[in-house]
Amino acid sequence: MDYEIKLDIFKGPLDLLLHLIESSEIDIYNIPIALITEKYLEYLHTIQLLNLEGVGEFLVMAATLMQIKAKMLLPQIQNNEESVLLMEEDDPRWELAQKLIEYKRIKEASHLLKERETEQAQIYTRTSGEFADLKISAPGDPLKDLSLIDLLKAFQVVLESQEKPELDAVPKQVISLQQRMNEIVDLVTQEKRLFFRKAFGEIQTKIELITCFLAVLELIRLGKIIAYQDSIFGEIMLTLQEEVNLAE
Amino acid sequence: MNLITARAIVEALIFASSEPLMIKTIAEITELDIHTTIQIVAELVDEYQHHQRGIQLREVAGGYQFGTISECAPYLEKMQKTPRHTGLSAAAIETLAIIVYKQPITKAEIEAMRGVSVESSIANLVEKNLITEVGRKDSPGRPILYGTTKHFLKHFGLNDLSELPRVPDWHEQGKLNFDEIPLEVKKDA
Repeated sequence: MDYEIKLDIFKGPLDLLLHLIESSEIDIYNIPIALITEKYLEYLHTIQLLNLEGVGEFLVMAATLMQIKAKMLLPQIQNNEESVLLMEEDDPRWELAQKLIEYKRIKEASHLLKERETEQAQIYTRTSGEFADLKISAPGDPLKDLSLIDLLKAFQVVLESQEKPELDAVPKQVISLQQRMNEIVDLVTQEKRLFFRKAFGEIQTKIELITCFLAVLELIRLGKIIAYQDSIFGEIMLTLQEEVNLAE
Repeated sequence: MNLITARAIVEALIFASSEPLMIKTIAEITELDIHTTIQIVAELVDEYQHHQRGIQLREVAGGYQFGTISECAPYLEKMQKTPRHTGLSAAAIETLAIIVYKQPITKAEIEAMRGVSVESSIANLVEKNLITEVGRKDSPGRPILYGTTKHFLKHFGLNDLSELPRVPDWHEQGKLNFDEIPLEVKKDA
């Protein structure tokens, strides 16, 4: 019978290794690699038995440990003059030690952040209000506070709203991207602020919708128009770049 | 508009805004000069502090915002039907910590530091609007660089990144130079 257990005790191989080192009170710069590898594999065996997720990452570390162990068994080539300087970095354990030390700092930083988060959770602020859509002075960023995802979502909405019973194949005239771009620029010029939705007008077919969406993206890329949202989840608006420049 | 009413207006603006309000914005709306605005806001901050109110006016993410005082939290919790957000998971916090202190940074670099895949925690953090794409690294594949957002500052009650808790070594080594980072936060600074 398969049990699926998700243990969040160790957040990864480094975390586990650090735990093993600290619980054994070992100097991080002088890790007894054979001992640690053994302990590590022991633990790995347990989690494999438990059929845990993400065992692969732990296996990579096990391989690294064994590689270091093997390297340490090889006779070191002594280069007397430079050996004093390079000794530390020549140690096969050097890289791992560095990683562990950095990871320790990450843990420390996470701890500090967590504390800060808990502390801040004690302070309640007004989260929603009528003034959520504060007027923000516009920098010259063509995608003001929007991400591509926002645009894609908006396009999705348009696509869904256009889903109508399928008509028999009617030969449509194909509108080129350039034509579409010109049309949109005209529309935006007329309306000054154009709803993203409106840019699609009465278009019926999917291919035309896509052409239109591409036209919008291309215009944004060329810096001719700007897309923005007045509020989170609000309607996406399109406006001419020049309009914004004038307003400033 | 004399000074007394100006103060009332500034107070009302900050109260009504759901986002921390920048001095610049307050000045624009009230048509007061920046200096006077700063003075009025400072007076308000003092006023709330000195009268042992349950509300404080604090500077966060480059603006001013009203918030309850933390001492009241236990009572506010009682008022809630559902417990407040439980905060970020340990794995997400770890990924966030790396991004916060090492930004701008790529996913691969984070993974090298954590030794695990960070795909899901990055998606989680992006969804929570704590981190965002801040650019592309000029290296093969032009990987995405991540950095913190303004919302991150709000979530952690920070005014700017210089207020981050200090991590020994990272700070001492002088490796942190947030001035050079193209942060989203800086756009409206």
